[in-house]
Amino acid sequence: MPPCSTKCGKNAILKRPKTGDVLCKECFFEAFENEIHFTITRAKLFKPNSKVAIAASGGKDSTVLAYVLKLLNQKYDYKLDLTLLSIDEGITGYRDDSLETVKQNRDDYEMPLKIMSYKDLYGWTMDEIVAEIGRKNNCTFCGVFRRQALDRGAVLLKVDYLATGHNADDIAETVLMNILRGDLARLSRCSAIITDSGDGIPRVKPLKYTYEKEIVMYAYFRKLVYFSTECVFAPNAYRGHARVLLKDLEKIDPSVIMNIIQSGESLKINESANMPTLRKCNRCGFEQRIAQARDWQVK
Amino acid sequence: MCNVGDDNFDDLENSKYMPAKEKISPFSKCNKCREATPIVVLRSKDKYCKECFLSGTVHKFKALLGKHKLIRPNDRVLVVHRCGHAGTALLHFIRTGLDLGTHKKLRFEPVVLFVEDHSHLSLKERQELLKRVEHEINYFKFTMHLTSLSHLIRKGVNSEVLKNCAEILDLDDDSKSIIDNFVTKQTNTTNKTDFLNIARHKFMVDIAKELNCKFIFTPEISSDVASQLLTDVSLGRGSHIALNTGFCDFRDDTVKILRPLRLFDMKELGFYNHLNSLNPVTYRIVIDNPYKSIQHLMRKFVNDLQVNYPATVTTILKTGDKLALGSNKIRTCDLCNAPFEEESADLNSAESTQFSHWVSTQAHNSSLTSQERYIQTIEAFNNLTCDTYCFRCRQLMK
Ligand SMILES: [Zn+2]
Ligand SMILES: [Zn+2]
Repeated sequence: MPPCSTKCGKNAILKRPKTGDVLCKECFFEAFENEIHFTITRAKLFKPNSKVAIAASGGKDSTVLAYVLKLLNQKYDYKLDLTLLSIDEGITGYRDDSLETVKQNRDDYEMPLKIMSYKDLYGWTMDEIVAEIGRKNNCTFCGVFRRQALDRGAVLLKVDYLATGHNADDIAETVLMNILRGDLARLSRCSAIITDSGDGIPRVKPLKYTYEKEIVMYAYFRKLVYFSTECVFAPNAYRGHARVLLKDLEKIDPSVIMNIIQSGESLKINESANMPTLRKCNRCGFEQRIAQARDWQVK
Repeated sequence: MCNVGDDNFDDLENSKYMPAKEKISPFSKCNKCREATPIVVLRSKDKYCKECFLSGTVHKFKALLGKHKLIRPNDRVLVVHRCGHAGTALLHFIRTGLDLGTHKKLRFEPVVLFVEDHSHLSLKERQELLKRVEHEINYFKFTMHLTSLSHLIRKGVNSEVLKNCAEILDLDDDSKSIIDNFVTKQTNTTNKTDFLNIARHKFMVDIAKELNCKFIFTPEISSDVASQLLTDVSLGRGSHIALNTGFCDFRDDTVKILRPLRLFDMKELGFYNHLNSLNPVTYRIVIDNPYKSIQHLMRKFVNDLQVNYPATVTTILKTGDKLALGSNKIRTCDLCNAPFEEESADLNSAESTQFSHWVSTQAHNSSLTSQERYIQTIEAFNNLTCDTYCFRCRQLMK
């Protein structure tokens, strides 16, 4: 390997897919962490003295997010009160291992952890939901419940922010997916670093500009423990196509990920285009299609 | 990060699946006249008899031109001809439109341009090709101008490089090395292709000016437009999509580029030519590795969609139609001439990438603490000056 790009005197151990620069381990740690610090401060993600829930799944993204947020909170004195938030869907056999990893994160990073079950949030477990409505509608309700679960959990924890581990690859993939499915409303919102889920608690993405490959390298060199099994839920067809396409593009030129995000951020919707607006349920305040799942629960 | 819950699909199960092709009953009738037996099926659902297909296709061409009302009688239009079904059909649409005896006839004045751009062929093959193209344009009785890409690169645009017959166009036998040399500073095939496309675009606009044409017609069809859109997104030209894929590219103040075939697909135009007994000029092509460049990959991706999920290609086009120019016209890029993106105080991908490169290349001062180093880095970063190129062209010009 050639010498480190920062001319620190050491030899590089990796080539950054984001910029093509080569770095040694120490300089990579510093660059990786400083970039997330830059993202957090430049995009004003958090106000000092606020309470932040980190969506923790036990996977690499949320593990690295928890580790780096804790580190930066101390190093740059953000004055944030950090909590891990996990959702236990109650699907037999699936979540158990990943929840063990989250508990490990809690001990390693000395952060409080709140695990909320579907039973806590909705009064039903996923297995009970499936038994009640049958397999056929399982995916739909599952998606709706999963999306809403973190927001509900954040409300119950009374936090000011919900931080998720979405990385640059996720954002780029979502931009492509929304073009393929022609969803303009979501196309114009999906690249935002702060989104409002409708309940007043902002969702923030501190890893928005961080490559998945660099997250994996960071976790590897820092020897962080994470749960590496793929999600058991199959992606929808559009996301599946977008994912394959993005992986192929990345092989040709890794800078494509930042380019796609840049495109997503600079797209402007024609003023004359008809845009569907998301309606809010007048009972619960959540988005309309989420309210459908709630109605079912009430019945 | 898991995205399953984030996709927000409405509970219509089928909205999660991309619509595939439908099966057609062999006993059906023409969709339009409801009488004759259909001979062509479009987008795997619309069935037409010969008469309805031909009149519908011509109508579609005229309707798009008429809708935008940009061209006035006697305006000169530079028609860019390319070998293939799209180019040939475009010439036929224009010729039959001009020759109509009714008030619906076309009233502009076309000038056909053919730029020889086939440096992968032998000199002899290229000379043959040029003669056949000349013959084709003559068949439609158009005024023509012929030139070649390597001439344009060597000499620029002037009346000398434009020839009105194949006989006097003296092709360079080293066109390939002239072109390779022109893009030699670009580090990969994606950037070389992007840079060359910008040059082709500039030459075309300059030729239109040289020939006093206010408009240019180019023969891109739906799959070209869809792959251009996805390529633009992947290269960071999201704010240029409206210009690069819309009906009208108005980035130049005097010459507007129009894409009158952008809603047609290859099958439609292939049938149109076949039913009109037109045989486009063909030539030997090289089957490229789709992983050679982003442009190649997007072409393959869209062609696969066109075969298996044609409705998704239409969706991509419709998405493009609803995108506006994400930029203001006050400042334009020195290379591609597209307007700069609107200035925003928000952090964006461009700034983040710049910062990543900056922190990865700043000399490491180990006498400072990590916090002090960050402050030093950010102060120097904030003093970087801005560019004269757009986000993407900066990558080509660094
Ligand atoms: Zn180093
Ligand atoms: Zn440019």
